[in-house]
Amino acid sequence: MAYVAARGGEQAIAAAEELHTTLNGPLSAVLVQSIERHLPYLVDRVMGEGSLYAPDLAALALAQTGGDLYEAVLLLRAYRSTQPRITYALPVRQSELRTVRRISAAFKDIPGGQILGPSLDYSHRLLRLDVLDDALSIEDRKEEPPALSIERCSMLNAPLPAVADWQRENGLLAPLPDRDPCDPSALPDVTREPISFPAPRAHRLQSLARADTGGVLALGYASMRGYGMSHPTVNELRLGYAEVTLRHPVTGVAFSAGRVRVSQAEIVDTGAGAPGDAPLRLGFTATIGWNEVKTIAGAMLDLEMSAPNPHPAHQEEFVLYHTEPVESSGFCIHYKLPHYVTFGSALDNLRKAAKTGETL
Amino acid sequence: MTLADLAHPRQDYSYGFLDAFARRELRRRILKAIAIPGYQVPYASRELPIARGWGTGGLQATLSVVGPQDVVKVIDQGADDSVNAANLRRFIARMTGVETTTDTTKATIIQSRHRIPEERMDKGQLLVLQVPDPEPLRHVQPDSSQAREMHADADYAQMWLSLYEQLVRFGRFMQGASYPVIVNGRYLMSPSPIPRWDTPALHQSAHLTILSAGREKRLYAVPPYTDVRPIEFSDVFFQVEDQAGRVCTLTGAGQKYMDELPQPSGESRFRISDTGYVEKLLKMAQGESTKIGPTYYDDAGQFWMPGVIK
Repeated sequence: MAYVAARGGEQAIAAAEELHTTLNGPLSAVLVQSIERHLPYLVDRVMGEGSLYAPDLAALALAQTGGDLYEAVLLLRAYRSTQPRITYALPVRQSELRTVRRISAAFKDIPGGQILGPSLDYSHRLLRLDVLDDALSIEDRKEEPPALSIERCSMLNAPLPAVADWQRENGLLAPLPDRDPCDPSALPDVTREPISFPAPRAHRLQSLARADTGGVLALGYASMRGYGMSHPTVNELRLGYAEVTLRHPVTGVAFSAGRVRVSQAEIVDTGAGAPGDAPLRLGFTATIGWNEVKTIAGAMLDLEMSAPNPHPAHQEEFVLYHTEPVESSGFCIHYKLPHYVTFGSALDNLRKAAKTGETL
Repeated sequence: MTLADLAHPRQDYSYGFLDAFARRELRRRILKAIAIPGYQVPYASRELPIARGWGTGGLQATLSVVGPQDVVKVIDQGADDSVNAANLRRFIARMTGVETTTDTTKATIIQSRHRIPEERMDKGQLLVLQVPDPEPLRHVQPDSSQAREMHADADYAQMWLSLYEQLVRFGRFMQGASYPVIVNGRYLMSPSPIPRWDTPALHQSAHLTILSAGREKRLYAVPPYTDVRPIEFSDVFFQVEDQAGRVCTLTGAGQKYMDELPQPSGESRFRISDTGYVEKLLKMAQGESTKIGPTYYDDAGQFWMPGVIK
């Protein structure tokens, strides 16, 4: 190790880290496994915003930060920076998802059916206070239910067609651009090149996929509540498992490298397009992990971001820059850093201006 | 022979943390930035294990150019020993094994937040400035795509207008740190939030300056011996912060950029902000041998290059 200058600051850092560890308890593999097993939605959120599908690493990040979400997301993103991109998976088609939950608010019934799936939507939000008494949980503890298997919760293994496909066939939505089969390596990648505006569609969807859930919700809610379009409809919301299909580099044979949890939402609104255009417009957001709030709000913003009226949520640049979790949270907390040089520079002006001109 | 003999020893992270692709991208962008002085070059900007907005832009620039022969100095607000500077320095050292220093004249790379050292940087040295907001037009044009067009057209009229408004309202220019400059007679550039005291140090400097904003994903550069002029009128001039009458309580020196320390009595004391320079002054006062380089400002507060500050 080379000679290290100025030790004072480093001792303070070490002491602060130690105090943090003391207050938050020790890290262990058991804790990490328990987080991964029992807090899947939290793990999903960290993976989605961290844009890295690695449940064990996301659980480790949560354990290591004591559950500080933004810190956990940063840990995962920083780890992601060190990983080379080895290959590209084949595109995942909506109808091929192993779907466990699928809702359309647009129609009473849809081809393939509505699937409520795993959800607390219609449960009573009552705290299970009896659990605290430890009376009920003894039995639960004896026999932990088996981990959720796809086979158990997927009602149908048959492909479920997209609602939007039916609408396209009926001329309600514009047909998909004929770009099949697409070359994944030719897609613009927001983690490999900076976003500039107007953004390519791929950049927009990638940014929404890794966006901050709270940020997307705030801007999306502003649009829903009264600053946006008249009446959006949830065309289709899906939670499911996607096969990560790779091609063998030598033989070219496609094979599955595993499954990842994904969620996606489609929002439709009546179009304000030119005469002859399809009457409906579609907004879309997908992310890794199951995150219904983010995908619904994101799909709504996808529709709104290019609207002409000057509400912030109608500007792509405003939405995408300000919902980036690592950048927004990092910049927010950077104000904790010393700013006395810049503050002194401003004081120099203020003191003199007060003598000669008007005050600020 | 076993397989283990043939394999490289396990290494969790690449030299300088960034992988080879990220490093190559950064180096190419840096070359472009040097070729077009003051022009903001977009780059992908990887997340680092340091919070975003805490110097990750400067850090990526440093990590992409640093090599085993380098000597690195890191300062925040002029101080080597602040926790933030210490943290960045120990990260650079941990990922590269380079030697670190507090001595401006001994460093080959100086990464800084908000300051340029008092001692003059020389040729062959590299100054990396951390940048929170690379866009000098942001407060007149928050939309980045429109600001880009204004740069392309060299349309800086709104900046002159805002200068004029300050003059009318306050009788002086009110911009504190980050005073905008024109580089090489072409691009308007934010010099990062360095005090105005440091702005003239960029003009016709012998060293290379790279300015890098990690969160905003833009980097730009001032090559050696390039004109860097603060915006001003031909009859009302840019002024640096007034240090007259301020005496450093540690060294007794004056006419350097001072930190103001409020006292319970209601008065203020002052201390030179550049701690590496203070360290050397103190050594000299104790009769130890040390080599102090020429400074940007002399003891009378005169900038070393005549005609730069009017």
